[in-house]
Amino acid sequence: MHDIRMRIGTATLLTLVAFFSVPGAVGVFVWWLVFTQRLQEVKRIRIIAGTLGMIALAALFIFVAGGDGGAYFIRMGAIILIGIWLYSEQGSGEFLHLGVWLLGNRMGFELGMIAEMGVQMAESLAADLERIHMAMTIKGQKLGVKTLVPAGLILVSDALVRSQDTAELMAVRGYNEGGSFCPQFIHQRYDLIPVMVAIVLGFLAFVPVSEFLILYR
Amino acid sequence: MRLQLNAARACRGDWSLKAEGTFGEGVHLVSGDVGSGKSTLALMMAGLLSLSNGTIARNGISSSMISLQFPEYHVTGSTVAEECMSWGLDPGPILSELNLMDKQDRAPLTLSRGELKRLHLACMLVKKYDLLLLDEPFSSLDAREKERICKLISQRTSGITVLFTHEQTTFPSVDYLWEIQQGKLIERGEMPGALHHWTHAPVLIKKLIASGKCLKNISPSDLIEAVCMT
Repeated sequence: MHDIRMRIGTATLLTLVAFFSVPGAVGVFVWWLVFTQRLQEVKRIRIIAGTLGMIALAALFIFVAGGDGGAYFIRMGAIILIGIWLYSEQGSGEFLHLGVWLLGNRMGFELGMIAEMGVQMAESLAADLERIHMAMTIKGQKLGVKTLVPAGLILVSDALVRSQDTAELMAVRGYNEGGSFCPQFIHQRYDLIPVMVAIVLGFLAFVPVSEFLILYR
Repeated sequence: MRLQLNAARACRGDWSLKAEGTFGEGVHLVSGDVGSGKSTLALMMAGLLSLSNGTIARNGISSSMISLQFPEYHVTGSTVAEECMSWGLDPGPILSELNLMDKQDRAPLTLSRGELKRLHLACMLVKKYDLLLLDEPFSSLDAREKERICKLISQRTSGITVLFTHEQTTFPSVDYLWEIQQGKLIERGEMPGALHHWTHAPVLIKKLIASGKCLKNISPSDLIEAVCMT
């Protein structure tokens, strides 16, 4: 899906659908199977396995405590898959386009830029973590409880230094507030199909269709 | 003791690097343009990068170490003292030698890159390794420090030492010369004969060769000797 507005709207709708009912979550899962890159995304983003594992653990606790752990796992799993799809489709600069389109060249520009910086920071942190892991391998260390604290401190201090550098660079270049930007979005006809299917799922989830049909009987 | 690259190939998108050859004991210099693949080759030889084709065989090598180009990539300690300890070393002597005792409680990443590089190389060169891979060991260092590192490299009497660099001024005495060109590792051979085929040679070395001077090697003392030769 090329247009970020469609993507975010669809993801929001599907998240609500998955959250409110198990059949809705199953519908969202089917949507994910049909309209996304599916397993390629799962393989590419290694954090998925860990996240799903944590949800499975939480579901187990709920089940042991007498709750419906299975329903929790299905609903949260579907939400996570939609989140992964949204993240994997994200292109550079898209939040800036979206922000300016939504809220204009002042507040929209700043919010879009902050969102872009956040995405960049997340990518930098992932790269930093990989480098720390490599450095530990070189030194014959393993990522464990003992090495986790220094690694976390390095990640945080590095992120702070980078933020400071960016802020100083922007100040040196004369940035004050807002900016001038013409948002552009790519539309493709094929993108309408998943959006329409998501709307149908939302309609089925939130509109009491069965009662509506009974009225007509 | 040798490191053998058998049609080893690493790919990144459309770009790839192919390497074939045997690295025996001694000091090897791998030169090439920026972005030619020197760091990639270093990672391949260290076993930190998966090969898409071929193999790398280690014969008689029981210990190895790689120095990455950017010293901050090696940091795993949250203070300068902890960073020394992460190499299994007592911070006292190392930090005294580097005049960093007053900075031992600071975060390593608040040091200048030059200081961090000195710290990293000092920690790394304390121990002896059969295979020592040095990716741009002279970057961020001043002339005096470059010469000190060259001396330390020259003091290694055994093992395989490989320098990956586009340095143009300061070198240790080297035994073998390699180049990376158009995504391929090319063996130029043993010194001093290899100098005549060295396409990335610094201007001074090219001029000395062109003027008929006899260069034994490329260390500062060798260059001075060649320049002074009548």
